[in-house]
Amino acid sequence: MEQRHKILILAELCEGGVHKVAYELIGKALELYPSGKSVVECLILGNGEPDVAELCRRGAETVYYMKDPAFEEPEEQLYKENICAFIREHEPEIVLIGATSLGRSLGPRIAAALRTGLTADCTQLQISTEEKTAGKLEQIRPAFSDNILAHIVTGTMPQMATVRYKEFPEAVSDKSREVNIKVIKPYRTEVSGCRITRVYRELQENIQDAQVIVAGGRGIRKKEDLALLKELADLLGGQVGVSRALVDAGLAGSSMQVGYSGNRVKPALYIACGISGAPQHLAGMKESDVVIAVNTDPSAPIFSICDYGYVGDLYQILPQMIEDVKAWKGEEK
Amino acid sequence: MKHIFVLIKEVPDMTRVKFDSEKGTVNRNSADAEMNPFDLNALQAAVDLKQICGCQVTAVIMGPPKAEKSLKDAFARGADRCVLVTDAKFGGSDTLATSRTLAAAVKKMGKPDLILCGEKSVDGDTAQVGAEVAERMGIPHSYYVEEICGMSEKEVTVRVEDLSGKKQERVMTLPALLSVTKNINFPQMPTLKRKLESLDAEIIRLKLADLEGLLTEEETGFKGSPTKVLKIEVPRMKTRDSKIFRESYGEFSAAIRGAMKEVL
Amino acid sequence: MNRQIIEKLTGIVGRDYLLTDRQQVSAYLYDQVEIPLRPKASEGCVVVKPASTEEVSAIVSLASQENIPVVVRGGGTGLCGAATPVYDSIIISMERMNHILEIDEKNMMAVMEAGVTLADLLEELEGHEGIGFPVHPGDEGAQMGGMVSTNAGGARAVRHGIMRNHIKGIKVVLADGSVLSLGGKLLKDNAGYNLMHLIIGSEGTLAIVTEVTLRIYPEEKYTASIVASFDTIEEASSAVLDVVKSGVSPLAVEYQDKKLNLETAELLGLHWPVKEGSADLIIILSEKTETALYDNCRAIDQICDRHHAREAMFAGTKQEEADVLAIRSGSYDVIKDDIYHSFDMAVPPSSMPEFLGELWRLVDSYDTRTNITAHIADGNVHNDILLVDGKVPDYHRELQEKMYQLCFSYHGTITGEHGIGKLRVGDLPLQKSPREMELMEQIKKVFDPKCILNPGTVLRSQREE
Repeated sequence: MEQRHKILILAELCEGGVHKVAYELIGKALELYPSGKSVVECLILGNGEPDVAELCRRGAETVYYMKDPAFEEPEEQLYKENICAFIREHEPEIVLIGATSLGRSLGPRIAAALRTGLTADCTQLQISTEEKTAGKLEQIRPAFSDNILAHIVTGTMPQMATVRYKEFPEAVSDKSREVNIKVIKPYRTEVSGCRITRVYRELQENIQDAQVIVAGGRGIRKKEDLALLKELADLLGGQVGVSRALVDAGLAGSSMQVGYSGNRVKPALYIACGISGAPQHLAGMKESDVVIAVNTDPSAPIFSICDYGYVGDLYQILPQMIEDVKAWKGEEK
Repeated sequence: MKHIFVLIKEVPDMTRVKFDSEKGTVNRNSADAEMNPFDLNALQAAVDLKQICGCQVTAVIMGPPKAEKSLKDAFARGADRCVLVTDAKFGGSDTLATSRTLAAAVKKMGKPDLILCGEKSVDGDTAQVGAEVAERMGIPHSYYVEEICGMSEKEVTVRVEDLSGKKQERVMTLPALLSVTKNINFPQMPTLKRKLESLDAEIIRLKLADLEGLLTEEETGFKGSPTKVLKIEVPRMKTRDSKIFRESYGEFSAAIRGAMKEVL
Repeated sequence: MNRQIIEKLTGIVGRDYLLTDRQQVSAYLYDQVEIPLRPKASEGCVVVKPASTEEVSAIVSLASQENIPVVVRGGGTGLCGAATPVYDSIIISMERMNHILEIDEKNMMAVMEAGVTLADLLEELEGHEGIGFPVHPGDEGAQMGGMVSTNAGGARAVRHGIMRNHIKGIKVVLADGSVLSLGGKLLKDNAGYNLMHLIIGSEGTLAIVTEVTLRIYPEEKYTASIVASFDTIEEASSAVLDVVKSGVSPLAVEYQDKKLNLETAELLGLHWPVKEGSADLIIILSEKTETALYDNCRAIDQICDRHHAREAMFAGTKQEEADVLAIRSGSYDVIKDDIYHSFDMAVPPSSMPEFLGELWRLVDSYDTRTNITAHIADGNVHNDILLVDGKVPDYHRELQEKMYQLCFSYHGTITGEHGIGKLRVGDLPLQKSPREMELMEQIKKVFDPKCILNPGTVLRSQREE
């Protein structure tokens, strides 16, 4: 029988459940090798009774749940000691870690301890077919502020990479899959050097960090109408922005202003409603990944820099978009 | 007196680097090099601690000889000692080889109490060297430190911005390595006088030979790097389709569906 | 506007490029003048967006036949109401004429359509190693046509002068619709009266600029900004005179009251680097070599000492320089709700210390304040009259008159860079002799006998309806 390839995914507990990036990594790991040739295993550290079975339903052959009160809150040194010991014992060829804040902090610590290479923040993974590196994991990652893509291979074992969240689709959940969870004991529960004295949640919103911005301009007639934008933004997990015209008119504060003299933003999705697109405004948002524009003026400059535009009244279009998004959200579930 | 080391990288001014998507190359020639912006926060954190507890701040850069310019800038901003880790044999180091080399340089310059670095570099974006240095030195580390709450003889208390969705306050035994976020402070500009003085600041140069016993040739440079860059691609600049719809909302809705679902 | 005219305009530019809807047109009526001071825009305007000089020509021919006023709109970044139509007008928005036609590296000239923004030009020049364009009137959304028509200035005039110094050629549409090319890629051209320079700065009242040829320059790579604070504005401005005299040629020297710097920094979430003193200078340097840069820094350091600077900081990274400039340029947002009227006076640079001192004392005698920002090495001051309890104070005319008289006593001008527009039409005769005014009126008549080009701007010339 042909050789099978063992791939270990370090899954993370976040807000009581498994961080979804693990499902994406399972999907990617399964398709790295021809069908049946990837052996995908997950290791997860924590305490309590989280639903780790889902990792199996997404395609992991075995889930190792290393359970101990010491893992209640993550601490890199202790996690590293245990994960390295596990890796030495199980000898995976590939170790994949979600590039979350924990993954990015923990990954290099593990790699350095194992004296192996680590590729940060990958956006694509494939098995190399080039002569010199055939069979190696080719790790593709952006660098220079996302201006280039570097293809990287690792000469040592295991081949390790952290992978960005939301780069790959999640593996589909299949209830018929066998659930194989092994609750294992920690190798160590204490390392000196770091005590966690307090943990707490704190949410803050900042338009510059928003992944989705629904922005309004002169087409917005009164302050209350911003609620329409807010409704769409909330549905999309985003925030409301405005053009300078609305700030000048006193409808919104300058912390919400997008533009050359306001906030320069780069969200994944920018929806411009009733914004004509003065150069001042465009300078602040043209780097957005996807731009959707709604405006009554077919010659508005915003239409020349958008991906999708609709010539029409935002007061008619936005309610329809809101209904659509609600429906699409339903489908997602 | 406590010794704080700040690990700094010199990077090209990213607004001026040119990318050629035809040839798949990066041309840094048109760009001036400067201190990695994220490292300014680490240096400021060190200088702030100096105000409180009178420590010595050593700035360390691994890079080509011309990187001494950024070290002088670090001096202007309050570093007391400037160390340039430079040798042709260090060339081609990946993050693991870099961390070994930096760890050796830090050890060579004395026993550190605290090592600080910035969140990441704007060119490599890897954010790996800090934790790898900590591992090599066998000391605890924290990433995403947004506040240094206090430092005593033996410990430093920090607040970590976000790990698995929560903030953490941690007490770390010294020596420790901290990687700080942009939010930790606002880097101060140097005074004009200190800037002018810095032009003549002394630069301590460390070559591989100077690190004997701490670093071997096999551990650094190309030889010491497990990862290799096969090739780079420069993706073409995104051009937008500007698909404009009128009257038919249905078509518009179908067109944006993919983009909207992407963010749900 | 009657339907026939609308149809004819549609025939020229196409249906998509004509706006008649009042709400859509409303985006094209005002520039960046303070809201209480804005001239009231006429409500019956239409907007057309031509794509070529030929279309502009056809529009103006039609307007001339029908005797309809024409107001050209660029980036809308002007500060004196020149872009606001006060009669029912055809507004020509140049936004589609945004093509850079040529970057001629041999002659070091750029040829562009009038709707190209300063940001577009700078972005294009990024792609040409080592070339730049130095004039920078603040807002990069400004369009070339507007920068020509207003003879834009900005912070860098101390080293590089104003737009007029860099414009080598323009293509214009005259009031009857005819097209004229003036100047070209010549460095020397002494043939006859220079109509191009008459049109530069005429604020859309003599002709419509559709194409511009500008000089471009080798870029200076080494830049830094020094931020220095002084106890008094007189000390700061005396230091500036010494800097210029020392042979250091800064790219720009900007003054701003400390209070404004601190408040703007807070608003923008930035830090202002100097804490002491009350009068702050930003000295921006730009040199070909690092040695030259630091030599100049040394000279400035000594001058700062001599004039008892409280602090002097060095902004060396691109981000630090950008932050300092952002604070300098962003102060308007801090004061905009408190001010009634802002000014643009200029005096000979040597008179700045006395002029600024007296200006302080003058407003003080009215028991009020004034915010001062200045392109201080150019002798150009922006200050204001404040609202009192949210209202326009009774003394505003009197105070304005006294400010102007003070300015004239130093042989100054009421506008250094913003222009007359519609805000200062009544003030122009205070500065100019009746004979000079008369010549200007006659020139206007020659270029635009029916007075259809931006009526109510610069001069009082009345339209015959």
